[in-house]
Amino acid sequence: MAKLLDKQRYKCALGAMQTVQAIERALPILHSGPGCAQKLSESVGSSGYFSPNIFPCTSINEKDVVFGGVKKLDSTIENALKVIDADLYVVLTGCIPEIVGDDSGEVVSRYEDAEKPVIYAPTAGFKGNNYKGHEQVIDAIIDQYLSKSDKKQKGLVNIWADVPYQDLFWLGNLRELEKLVSELGLIPNTIFGFKRGIENIRKIPEAEFNLLVSPWVGLGNVKKMERKFGTPYLHYPTLPIGAAETSKFLREVGKFAGVAEEKVEEVIKKHEDYYYYLIERYADLFLENRVINKQFTVVADAQYTLSITKFLANDLGLIPAKQFIVDDTPASYRDKIKEEFKNLNYGVEAEVSFDTDGYKIHEEIKNHDYHGYPLVLGGYYEKEVTENLKGNFLNIAYPVQDKVVFDDSYVGYTGGIRLIEDIYTVAVSRFN
Amino acid sequence: MSYKIAIGSSDGINVDLKFGETKEFLIYEVDENAKFLEKRAVYGELPENTLSFTEGICSTGDKDCTSSCISEGSGCGDGNGCSGPKDAVVKISVISDCRCVVCKKIGFQAQKQFEKKAISVFDVECSISEALEKITYYYGKIDRHETFRKEK
Repeated sequence: MAKLLDKQRYKCALGAMQTVQAIERALPILHSGPGCAQKLSESVGSSGYFSPNIFPCTSINEKDVVFGGVKKLDSTIENALKVIDADLYVVLTGCIPEIVGDDSGEVVSRYEDAEKPVIYAPTAGFKGNNYKGHEQVIDAIIDQYLSKSDKKQKGLVNIWADVPYQDLFWLGNLRELEKLVSELGLIPNTIFGFKRGIENIRKIPEAEFNLLVSPWVGLGNVKKMERKFGTPYLHYPTLPIGAAETSKFLREVGKFAGVAEEKVEEVIKKHEDYYYYLIERYADLFLENRVINKQFTVVADAQYTLSITKFLANDLGLIPAKQFIVDDTPASYRDKIKEEFKNLNYGVEAEVSFDTDGYKIHEEIKNHDYHGYPLVLGGYYEKEVTENLKGNFLNIAYPVQDKVVFDDSYVGYTGGIRLIEDIYTVAVSRFN
Repeated sequence: MSYKIAIGSSDGINVDLKFGETKEFLIYEVDENAKFLEKRAVYGELPENTLSFTEGICSTGDKDCTSSCISEGSGCGDGNGCSGPKDAVVKISVISDCRCVVCKKIGFQAQKQFEKKAISVFDVECSISEALEKITYYYGKIDRHETFRKEK
C-alpha cells in the first residue's frame, strides 16, 4: 500500500529552489510546469535580490510532454542569461521533464562557456523531498562549479547546517554558528545569506575542514568534498542549543581544529558565566513552572527534534516523552540518530520514532500520560492537539504559522536563552 | 478505441502551416496505427449552431459587437492570419471530432477555444510522421494507463 503522508512537513525536491534562493545573487531556472514554483514559494522572505515570482520557468505543458521540452529549456536559459543579472544560474528540473526523459544535463552543458556559471541539479519530486533536493543543489555546486584547490587557507572552516527556508531560523542559526567558530580563532565560511554568495562558494575548496552541524542532511555533500577536494570533515549531529551542548560543541570543534585547550575553555567560561547568571536570576520562574510541564514532546525534523530534546533534558532537566522525527530521514541514518537520543545527561533516554503520518503522531500524543499538561514543540499542526490537552505549545518547525522570523536563532548560548524565553512566555501567558 | 488527429500541412510531409493559414486539414485516424483518412476543407461560413458559442468570445458581450465580429472582413486580419474568433470557431467546428490538432503555430485565442472543447493543441515544426509517432505513443500510454518514465 502507498505510504500515507498526513500533515505534510516538507516539500518536493524542487523545493531546493529555496536553497538557491538563499545564496545571494544566485538564480534558479526551473524546468517544470507552471505553478510548481508558486506552490513551493512561501512568504518566508525573498532572497533580498530576486523575488520567487521572477524565477525563469519553462512552464512546460502537454506539448512538451509529447515532443520534449529541451528546446524550451535551452531558450529559457539563453534568455535568463540575457535579462537577469545573477552570479550563478542553477537549473532545477521538476517531475515532468524527468519522467518524459528530457536530457536537461545535456542542455545545460551547452552553457559551459557562458560568461556566468550555469549548473544543473535534478530535483524531480519523485526523487525525494526538499532535504534531498538541498543536497542535490550543493552536490551540483561541488561537481559542476568547483574544482580542487592547491591553496589551503589556514583556519578556514566551511560551515554547513540544515536547509534554508525549510528551517525558518536558518539565517540566524548560521550566523550564530559562525560567531561561535570565529571565537575559537577560526575563520568561518558559509554560502547562504547576506554578503556570502559566490565569493564564499569559491573559497569552499580552500578550507581546512568542513563542519557539518546536522543529523543527516549534508553528510553526502561533505563526503563528496572529502573525495574531490581532500577536505576532511567533522560531523557534529546535534545543533547546539544551550550551554551543555554548545560547550561540548566548542570543545569538539576546538579539538578537531587543533585549537589550544585553554583558549577553548576561556571562550566557554565567558559564555557560561553569563548564561548561568541569566538562568539563576529566573530560578524561581523555573521552579514554579516545573509543576506545569513535567514531560515534553518534540515533533520536528531530525535537526530540531534531536537538538531540542537534548536541550530540554540536559539544560532544563525536563523529562522527554516520546519524540517524533517527521522529515522522512533516509533509513540508513536512522539507527545512528536513535543512538543520539540515548546519549542524554543524567542517564535519561528518549524514545524516538520516525513517522510522517500526522494522525498517528497526534493519537500517540493524546494517549500518552504526560503526568500533567504536556509541553509540545512542533509544527503548527500540533497547536490544536496541544490546546485540547491544555498543554503549552511552541511552533518551532515547519510549518510555522504563528511566528515571524527575520534572523532570530536558537543556536548557541544565546539561542538557548531565546528558546527558554519563548517556552516560558507561552507558559506564563496561560495565567493571563 | 480509435481517434482522429488534424494536421496543418501544405505538402503532406511536414507540419508547415499555421492554424490561421490552414485551408484544408489532413485528418489521420489512429486505431493501432495512424492512417490517412481524408482532407477536410475549411469553408468560410459559420455553422448555425455556433452563434451562441461566439457570443461568449466577444469581450464586450454587446449584440452589435457580436455581429460585427462575425461579419466578413472585420476584426484584425485579412482572413489568412488572426482574424478574430470567427475563423477559429469555424475551423474548430470542422475538426471538433479530433482528439488533437497539430500546426506550426496556433494563436492564443484559438488555443483557448480548443481548450473549451478538450482538444489538445500541439504547435510544433516537424515532419508529419514524427508528430504522429510521438502523439500516438503519448496517447497510447495514456489509454493503457502506462507510465511515461523512461529508464536512462
